[in-house]
Formats: sequence, structure tokens, C-alpha cells
Amino acid sequence: MSFVGQIGDRALGGFRSANRIFGVICGMTLLSLKPRSWPRTVRNVLARQIMFTGCDALRFVSLVAFMTGVSVVVQTQVFVSMAGQAELLGPILVTVVFREAGPLLASFVVIARSGTAIATELANMRVSNEVNTLEAQGVDPMVYLVMPRVLGVAVSIFCLTVVFVIVSLTVGYVGGQLLRPGTSDPLVFLESLLKAVSRADIYNFLAKTLATGLLTGAICTVEGLSIEGSVTEVPQAATRAVVRSIAALFIVSAIVSLLTYM
Amino acid sequence: MAAEETTPVLEFRSVTIVSTSQLGASICEVDFTLAPGELALVRLEYGNEHTPLADAAEGLVAPDGGEVRLQGRNWRRMSADRQTRLRGRIGRVFQQHGWISNLDIVENITLSQRHHTTRPFKAILEEARQLAAGFGLQDLPEVRPSRLHQRDLRRAEWVRAFAGEPLLIILEQPLLGVPVESAPLLVDAANAARARGAAVLWTTASTPAWNDTRLSDARRYVMRGERMHEEERE
Repeated sequence: MSFVGQIGDRALGGFRSANRIFGVICGMTLLSLKPRSWPRTVRNVLARQIMFTGCDALRFVSLVAFMTGVSVVVQTQVFVSMAGQAELLGPILVTVVFREAGPLLASFVVIARSGTAIATELANMRVSNEVNTLEAQGVDPMVYLVMPRVLGVAVSIFCLTVVFVIVSLTVGYVGGQLLRPGTSDPLVFLESLLKAVSRADIYNFLAKTLATGLLTGAICTVEGLSIEGSVTEVPQAATRAVVRSIAALFIVSAIVSLLTYM
Repeated sequence: MAAEETTPVLEFRSVTIVSTSQLGASICEVDFTLAPGELALVRLEYGNEHTPLADAAEGLVAPDGGEVRLQGRNWRRMSADRQTRLRGRIGRVFQQHGWISNLDIVENITLSQRHHTTRPFKAILEEARQLAAGFGLQDLPEVRPSRLHQRDLRRAEWVRAFAGEPLLIILEQPLLGVPVESAPLLVDAANAARARGAAVLWTTASTPAWNDTRLSDARRYVMRGERMHEEERE
């Protein structure tokens, strides 16, 4: 195949892949709106997924948020006060932490922790014929395996990002006060942040967290379930899931930012 | 109600399935009918123990020819929803790979009932415990399947197959890995299920079940190559 042909082939492959992912998200969304799709077994899986992806990741996300607060928020506070531009503190922190760093870093943590686990778990189920065992018992794999995992990841990323933003801004403020005491009243700091948050920022936040979560969950479940049945394909599926989820994260982040603030 | 009583539970009408690596042996123009309360004993050929009969009976594989009907309805013409609901009314002992590894034994056994019904969990568990006791299991361990001995795992599969009073019970070589003295327990359970109207499809490559006198009224079939032949009752 010629070089141009190879490019075209890859582009078509990417398009087919994206088509499949969006098909899964749409199908899963329609399924989730039917009450019959939520027997107790599925609710149980959703709860476990939120526990594993959200609750169990709280400590690590808080640590990352702490570091972000120390490195980004503190410096911003210090330099802004040195420059005598204290009124810019809120908009800068909202732009950096609320709009970009928060959703990005929280999603990274979830992809690394849960994305690999989901893809590996489902790939192993394919290899050991457990998906067929579920179908034989009338348990639809889309309802039982895919839907609660995708929704669980989306909800978890949203909640973890909220925690991330709160922790990093709080740590950042406290750190800034320790370095240069008295530079900012806490209520003034909070007020500047709240004033800087616009409706567009809220939409941006929701889109980046929920869309990324849905895409990550869908990519990881699809990659896990799409292997043919060889054990050697399991780590390959996990790697593909992570790489594609990260790519989707950056693409969604850029597109949402452009659309929100154009 | 009268129509339901006379409608066969399971029908294979000239079913042909060409083998793939996953399905095992091919079957060609297989014809049989199971009415409520009937048991079909299918003797498998040595070396051809893996057949798609059970998967076809559950509508999991589309025949290349003919049709498979459950309660008079062609699997291929049913909606996906109806298919999953009906599969919830089928109990099965799998020839191999019958467990979900990240669920413990109790969760595995009760999965179908918890998914398809709103029965209280206590009632589902109590029924499972009674079945387990009937099969010689002391209790239902809350461990992962990989931690259980094969003979106990097999009998736990029997518990799952008979739980919830299914309308069709498929037993794929259910005595594999189980002591011979346990066989009568399974035969008794199968006959009890038949007495309440269930149909049973039992495939076997071994003699204990084939020669069991309490199954003398079973319809007997023998697989020779791709074809199924009915054995005349004596």
C-alpha cells in the first residue's frame, strides 16, 4: 500500500473506531433510560464501580491536588500579589485549575487506575468465556458489564474533579499565606474565585468531566470486550485502552475549551 | 393455559450447525422435541463431546439450517429482550467455563435469580441452600470459584441449574469430576423438576447416567458423527 493509502487506511480505521465508541455511548445512554435495565445486579455493579473508581482514588487524587496546589496555586498567589494584580488571582486560578488542570489531572488518575483494570478484567472474561456464561443466563453483557462501568467512571471523574479543585485551591491558599502572611483574606480569596466563575466555566467543567468519563469508560470496555480470545491479547487491550483514553481526553479537552470560549 | 400445556418446551427442527473452533463438533439435521416433564438423554461420541446442542437450545448460536424453538417461539424471530428474559428461565450446567471468576460462589449461583426476578435475596439464598444440601454440599461457600474443589464446584453448578424452578434444564456432562455416588442425587433432582413440568436435556459421554434405571422413561438419543439417532426404548 502506498504512503497516502496507509494514511487513508489509518484515518478510516480511526473513524471506524470512533464510530463504534460513540455507538456504544449512544446505545448505553438509551439503555440506561429504561427502568428495566436497572435490576439489583446492575445497580450493584454500578455501586462497586463508583467505589473502586471514585472512593478508592480519593486519596491519590487529593495528593495530586495537594501538589498542584503547592506548585501552581501558591506561585500564582505570590506573583500576583508581588505584581500588585490581586484582582487577577481569581480568573487565573479558575482558568488554570477549574477549567484545565482539574479535569485533566483527575481524568489521568482515573485512566491509569481504572481504565487498565476495566479493560483487563473484561478481556480476561472474554478469554475465559465468562461473557458467554452471562449471556447463557440471560444477563445482557451490555447492561451488566458495559453500562454500569461507563456511568460509574463518568460519575467518578466528575466527583473526583470537584474534590481536586477544592483541595488544590485550599492548599494553594494556605500555602500562599504561609509564604507571605496577610496577603489575602480568605473571604476575599473565595470571593475572587466565585466572581471569576462564569456560566461558560460551569458548562466547560461539566463537559470535560462527564464527556471524558463516558469516553474513557466506553473505550476501556470496548477494548476489553473486543479481543478474540487469546491471553496474549489481554495486556495489548489494556495498553490500547489507556492510550486511546488519553488521546480522547486531550482531544475532548481542546475541543470543549475552543467551543466554550470562542 | 391449555395451549401452553401442550406446547413443547424445546424443539429442534432439522437443525444443522457447521462447526467452528468454538462450537466443537458439527450437527446435521437434528430433530427432537421435549415436552414439559420430559427428559432427553443424549449420548455423545467419544472424541466429539463438544457439541453446540446446548448453545443452540438457548438460542446463543444461529443454526445454519432448520430452527430451534423454545415454548413454540423461534429464537431467531424473538427480540433481544425476550431472548434474555427466556434465558433467565433456563438452568444450565456448563460443560466447561461456567463461572464468573470475580464473583463468589453464592453470587454466581444467585446471579440469574437476582437479575431476572424481584424475589428477596433471603428467599433465593434459602432455596439455594436447600438445593445444596440435597446435592450433598455442606454449605454454599462465599469464596471465588477458583478456590473450590472441582467436585464441589460441579455440584454448586447443579444448584445454580435447578434454582428458580426453570422451565428447561440443560445438563452438559454434569457428572464430570463428581463421585459416582452423587449421580443419584442429580437424577432425583431432575425427576423432581420434571414432576413440576420442567423439561431436561442431558448430554453425557459416560455410562452411569445412561444406565441409570430411574431414567428409564427418558427419551434416548445417540450422536453418531453429525447426526442424532433416537434409540428405541425396550
